[in-house]
Amino acid sequence: MADLAVLKDPHVTPVLVEGDPSLHKLTSDVAQIVEGINRKVPVQWYMALAITGGLTMLLGAMLGYLTFTGIGVWGNNQPVGWAWDITNFVFWIGIGHAGTLISAILFLFRQKWRTSINRFAEAMTLFAVACALIYPLFHTGRPWRAAYWLLPLPNTHLAVWPNFRSPLVWDVFAVSTYATVSALFWYVGLVPDLATMRDRATGLGQKIYGALSLGWRGSARHWRNYEMAYLILAGLSTPLVLSVHSVVSFDFATSVLPGWHTTIFPPYFVAGAIFSGFAMVVTLMVIARWAFQIQHLVTMKHLENMNKIMLATGTIVGYAYATEFFIAWYSGNPYERFTFINRAFGPYAWAYWTMISCNVITPQFFWFKKLRTNVPFMFVLSIFINIGMWFERFVIIASSLHRDFLPSSWGYFTPTWVDILTFLGTFGLFLTLFLFFVRFLPMIAVSEVKGMVANEQMHHAVHGTAHGPDTHNPTPGMAPVTGGSH
Amino acid sequence: MPTVHTNTPALKDKNVYGVVAEFDRPEDLVAAGHRIHHDHGYKKLDALTPFPIHGIDEAIGVPRSILGYIVFGLGLFGFLNAIFMIWYTNGYDYPLVIGGKPLFAWEFSIPPMFELTILFSAFAAVFGMFALNGLPKFYHPIFNMPGWERATDDRYLLVVEASDPKFDIEGTPQLLAELGALRTEVVSQ
Amino acid sequence: MIQITKKLTGKKYWRSLDQFYQTTEFQNWINREFPSEAAEMLDEPSRRNILKLMGASFALGGLTACRRPIENILPFSKNVEGFIHGKPLYYNTVMSLGGQAVGLSVETNEFRPTKIEGNPAHPWSLGSTKSYHQASVLSLYDDSRGVGVIGDGKASNWDAFTAYVKNLQGQLGNGAGLRFLSEPIHSPSFAAVKRHAMTRFPGAKWVEYSAVQTSATAHPTVPRIAFDKAAVVVALDSDFLGLDDTSVLAVKEFSRGRKITDEANPVMNRLYAVEPQFTVTGAAADHRFRLKASEIPNFATALLGALQAQSSPLQVLGQNNASKALSAIAKDLLANRGKAVVVTGPRQSAAVHQIVHQINQALGAVGPIVTYLPATTDQTRPQLDAMKELAGEMAAGQVNTLVMLGWNPVFTAPADLSFEANLKKVANTIYLAQDADETAAVSKWVVPAAHYLESWGDAVAVDGTASIQQPTIQPLWGGRTPAEIAALVSGYKDQHAYDIVRNHWLPIAGGEKGWKKALHDGLIRNATGAATTATASTTPTFHTSAPAPTPASGFEVIFAPSWSLFDGRFANNGWLQELPDPMTKLTWDNAAFISPASATKLGVIGGDVISIERNGRKLEAAVMIQPGQADDTILLPVGYGRAKVGAIGEGTGFNAYSIRTTDGFGYGTGFNVSKTGRTYPLARTQEFEYQEEPHLVNFQEVAVRPILREGTLDQYKKNPHFAEQMVEHPPLRSLYGDYDYSKGQQWAMTIDLNSCIGCNACMVACQAENNIGVVGKEQVARGREMHWIRIDRYYSGAIEEPQAVTAPVTCMQCETAPCENVCPVAATVHSPEGLNDMVYNRCVGTRYCSNNCPYKVRRFNFLNWHSNEHEVTRMVYNPEVTVRMRGVMEKCTYCVQRIQNAKIAAKAENRRWLKDGEVNVACAQACPSDCITFGNVNDPESRVAKTKLSPRNYAMLGELNTKPRTTYLAKLRNPNPELVSAAPAAEAHHG
Repeated sequence: MADLAVLKDPHVTPVLVEGDPSLHKLTSDVAQIVEGINRKVPVQWYMALAITGGLTMLLGAMLGYLTFTGIGVWGNNQPVGWAWDITNFVFWIGIGHAGTLISAILFLFRQKWRTSINRFAEAMTLFAVACALIYPLFHTGRPWRAAYWLLPLPNTHLAVWPNFRSPLVWDVFAVSTYATVSALFWYVGLVPDLATMRDRATGLGQKIYGALSLGWRGSARHWRNYEMAYLILAGLSTPLVLSVHSVVSFDFATSVLPGWHTTIFPPYFVAGAIFSGFAMVVTLMVIARWAFQIQHLVTMKHLENMNKIMLATGTIVGYAYATEFFIAWYSGNPYERFTFINRAFGPYAWAYWTMISCNVITPQFFWFKKLRTNVPFMFVLSIFINIGMWFERFVIIASSLHRDFLPSSWGYFTPTWVDILTFLGTFGLFLTLFLFFVRFLPMIAVSEVKGMVANEQMHHAVHGTAHGPDTHNPTPGMAPVTGGSH
Repeated sequence: MPTVHTNTPALKDKNVYGVVAEFDRPEDLVAAGHRIHHDHGYKKLDALTPFPIHGIDEAIGVPRSILGYIVFGLGLFGFLNAIFMIWYTNGYDYPLVIGGKPLFAWEFSIPPMFELTILFSAFAAVFGMFALNGLPKFYHPIFNMPGWERATDDRYLLVVEASDPKFDIEGTPQLLAELGALRTEVVSQ
Repeated sequence: MIQITKKLTGKKYWRSLDQFYQTTEFQNWINREFPSEAAEMLDEPSRRNILKLMGASFALGGLTACRRPIENILPFSKNVEGFIHGKPLYYNTVMSLGGQAVGLSVETNEFRPTKIEGNPAHPWSLGSTKSYHQASVLSLYDDSRGVGVIGDGKASNWDAFTAYVKNLQGQLGNGAGLRFLSEPIHSPSFAAVKRHAMTRFPGAKWVEYSAVQTSATAHPTVPRIAFDKAAVVVALDSDFLGLDDTSVLAVKEFSRGRKITDEANPVMNRLYAVEPQFTVTGAAADHRFRLKASEIPNFATALLGALQAQSSPLQVLGQNNASKALSAIAKDLLANRGKAVVVTGPRQSAAVHQIVHQINQALGAVGPIVTYLPATTDQTRPQLDAMKELAGEMAAGQVNTLVMLGWNPVFTAPADLSFEANLKKVANTIYLAQDADETAAVSKWVVPAAHYLESWGDAVAVDGTASIQQPTIQPLWGGRTPAEIAALVSGYKDQHAYDIVRNHWLPIAGGEKGWKKALHDGLIRNATGAATTATASTTPTFHTSAPAPTPASGFEVIFAPSWSLFDGRFANNGWLQELPDPMTKLTWDNAAFISPASATKLGVIGGDVISIERNGRKLEAAVMIQPGQADDTILLPVGYGRAKVGAIGEGTGFNAYSIRTTDGFGYGTGFNVSKTGRTYPLARTQEFEYQEEPHLVNFQEVAVRPILREGTLDQYKKNPHFAEQMVEHPPLRSLYGDYDYSKGQQWAMTIDLNSCIGCNACMVACQAENNIGVVGKEQVARGREMHWIRIDRYYSGAIEEPQAVTAPVTCMQCETAPCENVCPVAATVHSPEGLNDMVYNRCVGTRYCSNNCPYKVRRFNFLNWHSNEHEVTRMVYNPEVTVRMRGVMEKCTYCVQRIQNAKIAAKAENRRWLKDGEVNVACAQACPSDCITFGNVNDPESRVAKTKLSPRNYAMLGELNTKPRTTYLAKLRNPNPELVSAAPAAEAHHG
C-alpha cells in the first residue's frame, strides 16, 4: 500500500488537526471566517482592501499609460528586449505552481497534511496566474493585437495563423490550459463546501451559494463520480504542472542565446517554481492562520512540511546553478563561458549574488528543526526566497541578453518608474483577489478535513489497524483507489 | 440504542418521495445501509453525507463510476484535434517557410498536442461528473425534509425511496429505527 | 526633356512664397518663432497652433504638388520623356562642400527629391557618396530654414530688400566701405559675378573663408594624389580617407590598392599612419603611430633626412614608437621609389607641406603619383590673413557694408577676431541665412538662402570638371543663391540664378544642345569630348603663411571637422546628429577626446567635464577616452554647441570654435586643462570598451571572439583559408534537413573587410532609402537607435597603440533564421528568394526575434518616432517604403522595394532573371570603397557569386548554423616585416 509509509510515520496523524474538535465545530470554524464572527466583517479587512485596491488601480493606470504611449515607457531596449516584463511573468507563473502541486501531486502521494492548505494554495495559483498573464499580453505595447493573434483563430488580418514552431505559442497553450484546469480543479473542490455554506446561509447569500453549489446534496452517487473526477483531475494536473514551467523554460532553452540555450532548464525551472510557490504559500499562510485564528487547522506540521520542501527544491536549484557554471566551462564555448563569468562579475553581479544568497544559502537554515518550526523566522526566510527567485529570473533574462555574441551590441538595462509601479500593481491585484477569496469562500477544504477526522474516529471505533490503509481515508479521492480490497 | 422518535404523517403514497433516516456516526450509517440492502433487499437507496463515507457504495449498492471512459474519449479527441490544427494551419492552409523548418513536424508540435489532450480531458472530467450527477439541480424532494441541511455539516442520512417495491410507509421507518436511526422522516415529493 | 511653363504649373501665386507670406501672422510665425512654436505645439497642442500648422500643412502640401521648376531641367534616367506617376525621376546635379564638388544624381518622387546617389559619370563621385551628401536631402526639408526675409529684426519681404539694396548701391560709391564675405568660390558663374562686383566697386574687397580647411584650401595649388598608383603610402596627420576630403575619389583609389583582385598571387598597398588622433585612415593603416600634431613637422624633417641618409632620426626626435619605426619606414619608401608617396593633412602648416613635397620629389612620386592642380578658387592669400584684415577694418570702422554670403561667420570665425563684436560696428550687414543662426541674430538684413537642391548653380571639381547644379524642386522657403545676392548688390546683368548660370555656360558648353547635354550628363565636356580638365603641373606654389604653432607645455588641442555636422551647418539634421562617429560611436554630441594615459593624469573618466583654457578663452567640455590618441592631446570636433539653431540641434555638444584662434587654427598648443567635477551624459551606440572593466579583461582574453576576422598578407599567402579555420565547431547539421534554395534568384551579399573604412555613408544611405526614424539622444542612450545597418568597430592590441577594424553589420538574411522560428505570429518569414521578410502589419511586438538574433540587427519601434515630424520634413519619405508605427519590429530588407521594382522592369522585357548589377542595395550603392557586393548568388556570373568563392569568405557566427546570406571577406593587413613585432596580434578582437 502506497500510504503504509505515511501511516507508520509517527507524527502524521495526530498533529494535522489539533484539539480533536467535533465535525460541527470544524464546519463553523471555517464558515465563520466567511460569515464573520457573529456576522460582522472585521474592519481590518476593509483597511487591507483599501491598500491593495489602491495598488490595483495603480496597475490599471500604468497599463493604460503603456498602451497609449508604447513599450518605450519601460526600460526595455536593444539588446535587452525582455526585462522586467518577462521576469515578472515567470515569477508569477512560478508562484502559481505550489497550488496545483499540493492539490495534485501531494494528493496522489497520500500526503494527508495537504488537506488544510490545498484550497488556499490553489486560490493562490489562480491569482498568481492572473497576474502573470498581464505581462505577455501587455509587454507587446499593443495588447489589442497580442490578445488574439497568438491564438489559432481564423482572422481577417492577412489570414495568417500562429507559428507553432514558436515557444511563445507553446506558452499560450501551456499557460491557458494550466489556468483553466487549475480553475476547474479548484471549483470542483469547492462545490461540497459551497453546499455547506448554502445550508448555513440565509437570504441572498443562500441564493448565491445555492447557485454556485449547483444543488449539491452529498448523495453517495455524487461522491462516487466526484471522487473519480477528483482523482482524474489530480492525475491530469500532475504532468500539467510539470509541463507548464518546462514550456516556459523553452522560451529560453530553444533560443540560441548563451545563458538561455541550456537543456537543464525544464527541471531547473520546475524546481525553482515549486521553491518559490511554497515560499509564497508560507508567507501568506503565516499571516492568514494568525489573522483568522486557525492555528489548530493549519498546524506547525503543515508549515514544517512546506519548509522541508523548500529545503529540498532550494538545494536542487542551487545544484542547477552549479551545473550551469560547470557546463559553461566544460563546453569550451567562449560565448557561453563569458556569459556566466559576466553574470558573476559583470555589471549584473549584484543581482547574481543577491540571487545566490537568497536561493542557495537561505533554505539551508531549514536543516535545523528549531529554525524550520520557528514561525517568524520562516516568515522572513520565505520572503527572502521570494526575492531570490525574482532575481533568478531577472538574472537569466537580463544578464544573458545584455551581453551576447557581438560586443558591439552590448548594452545595459535600467528600469523606469513605470516598470516599478507596474510590478507593484500586480501585487495589489494579487492581494485584492486574495482578500475577496478569504472573505467570500471557505479558505479551507472543510469537507476534506472532516472526512479525514471522521475516518480517524471511525477507524478507531470500528476496524482494527490491519485494515488501516483502506479506512485511513484522508480525502475523498482515496476511496476508489483502495476500496477494491472490500 | 438511543430512543427513537418516529414521525409518520398521513400521506397519500403517491406524494411520498421516501423515508429518510438520520444517523450521527458514519459507521452506523454504513451498517444500517448494509443490512437494509443486503438483508432486507431494499434496492432504491441513497445516502447523504457531508463527506464521502468509505464503504457506503458497497453497502447500498452504488455502481462504479463510468467517468473514466468519457475522459479517455475526449482526451483522445483533444490530442487528434491538436495534430490536425497544427497540420492544417501551418502545413496546409497557409504554408510559410519559417527558419528553414518543415511546414509540419511532430517535434515542434509536441507541446500543443500535450496541452490540448490535458485540456479536453479536464473538461470531460469536470462536466462529465456534473452530468452524471445530474447537476445543476436546484430542486430535490429531500430539500423538503426539515433539518436535512446537517447532511452537509455533521449528520448522515439514509434515504429509502418510495419507488422501491418493498417500500412500506409504516414498515420502512420502523425498520430504519430498528437499524439505529436517530430519527426517521417521511419526505413528500 | 520636360518643358514646363508658367502656364502649365497653373498655381502661379504659389510660385514664390513671399507673396504667400504677406499675411503677417502666418509670416511672423513661419519666420521667427517657427522652431520654438513648433516644439511648443508638439508638446501641448493648443487650438491656435494646430490651426496654424494645418494652414502651413495645406499650403506646403499644396506646394508639393506644384514643385516643378519653371525652367527647363533634364531628368537623368531611361524614361527621360515625361513623367509616370509612382515612378521616380533622376536629375543630375552637383553638391559642393568643403571645396570639393561631387556630382550627384537625385531621385525625385512626385517632384520631391528623396534620395541622393552619386553620379557615376562624375570623376569625383564615380557613383558613390559620403554621408554628408546622403543626408543633405533632409536639410532641404528642415523646417528651421523658413526664416523668410527679415529687415532690422522685423519680418519683411524680397521687394523691400531689393529696394533697400538699390538705395544702398547709391551710397556705396566706389565701394571703399563695401566688403563681401563668402566661402571659397568653386562656381565659375559665381566667380563671374564676383569679378563684375569687383570692377563695379573697385574699392571693395572680397574675403573667402571656410572654417574647415580641406586639402583644396591648404595652399593655392591643389595636390592631386593618385592613391591607386601608390604601393606605399605614409600619411602624416592626414585623414585623406576621412574628413580631409569630402569627395570619395581618394577612398575609391586607395581601396583599389587594398582589394585582392588576383587571389592566386595577392598584392596589396601598404599604409603607414602617423597621427595625433585616431582617424579612419589610422584604422585602415597597416602600421599606425600616434604622434602629437606639433611633432609632425619634426617627423617630416626626420623622414626627409632619413631618405637622404643625412641624419639618424633619433637625434631629431625623442624616443617614441614612431621615431623607432622611422628608419624602417624610410627603407620601405626607398625600396618602392616611384610607387611610394607621403601625404599630410590641412591641419599642418604650409611648411610641412613643403617638406612633404620634397620627400615626394626624393621618392620620385611627383609626377607619377602627385600632380599639382591650380586651385579652383581665385583666392591667392591665406584665408586667415584676409579674415584678420577684414576684422581689423571692421574694428576700425572702415567697413560700412558687409555682405555675408557664406555660412554663419559669427559662429565659425576664429575666436580672437571677436567677429560678432566687430560686426556691430558695421552699419549695413546683409546675411544670406540657411536658418535663424548666430549670424542672422546680429545682422541688419537676413535673407533666406536656397538649398542646393532647390536652386541653380554650378561647381568645378578639383580636376576642373564642371557640373551644373540643377534644382529638383522650387525653393520651399523662397531662398536665393549667393550669386543672386551678389548680382543684386553689384547690379549684374543677370539677376536670376538660372540666367546667371545658363548665360555663363551657353558659350562654353556649345549652345543650347551642349547645355542640355551638360544638364543631362551632370558635367560639362568640351568639343573634344574630354572633361575640361585643368592642366596639371609638378611644381606647387605655397602660401608663405604663419609658422606652425611651436610645441609648448600643457595640452595640445587639435580641431577637426565633425563627422556629423561638418563645420556645424548640419546641426539641425537629425540623420547626421544621430550618426555615430566612426571611431568613438558618439552621437548627438562632440566631446573632448583624450588618451587613456591623459585621462589617468587628469583623474577623469568618460563623461567628466573638463575646462580647457588658454589666454582667457575657456571651454568646458565632456571628456571621452579614445584609445590610440596621442597623450596630452585633446581632439575637439568643431560645429557643435550652436547657440542659435533649430529644435533638433539645440543643446548638442560644445563649441570648439570658442577656443580656436588664428594662431592655433589647425591645432593649438599650451592649453591648461582642469577638472570641473561636473559630469555630462554622452550617448554612444557602441557602449562597451573592455578597458572600462579591468576585472573582465582577463576573461575577455579567454573569450576570444572571431567575429571580424583578419590576418596578414603573408599569413594569407601561406594559408588562404585561415579565416574559416579560426573557429572550431562540430559539423553543422539540421534536425530536419535543409530547405532547397538552389532554384530561382537567391539574393546574397558579401562585405570585403579589406576595403571598408567605416565612413558611415552606408548608414545614412539606408536611413534615407528606408524611412528610418530618428530617436534622439535620450533614446540612443537607452539603446534604442534604429539604424538598420551599423558599423561595428573593434580595437585589438594594447590600449596605448591599438589597431582598429570596422565592418558594416546588417541583417544577414539567415537561411535558418533564429528570429523566424520564435515569432509566435509568423510576422517574420522566409521568401522563396531567400529574403528574411518582416511583415510589419502582422507584428505584435513580442521582441522575441530580436532577443534570438545573434547579430542583434533587429530594431524595435519602442515609441512612435515619427509623431513629432513636421509636415515638410515628411516630404523626404521614400514612397516605396512603409513608415513603421510603434510596437513594430523592423530590420534590413535587402532593399526589397528595389528588388521588386527591378523585377517588374525585367518582367516588362520578358526576362525572369535580373542581370547582375541591375538591382543594387542602398548601402552598396553609396559605399565609397565598394566593399559591399550584392546580387543573385545562383547566377555563377554575378560578382557576389564570384566573391563568395574567395578563400577569405566566411560567415560571421557561422558556427551557429544560421547559414547567413551576408558573408564577409576576411581583412588582410600588409605589415612591414621589419616592424611586424610592433604590430599587435591581429586575430584577437575585444569589444
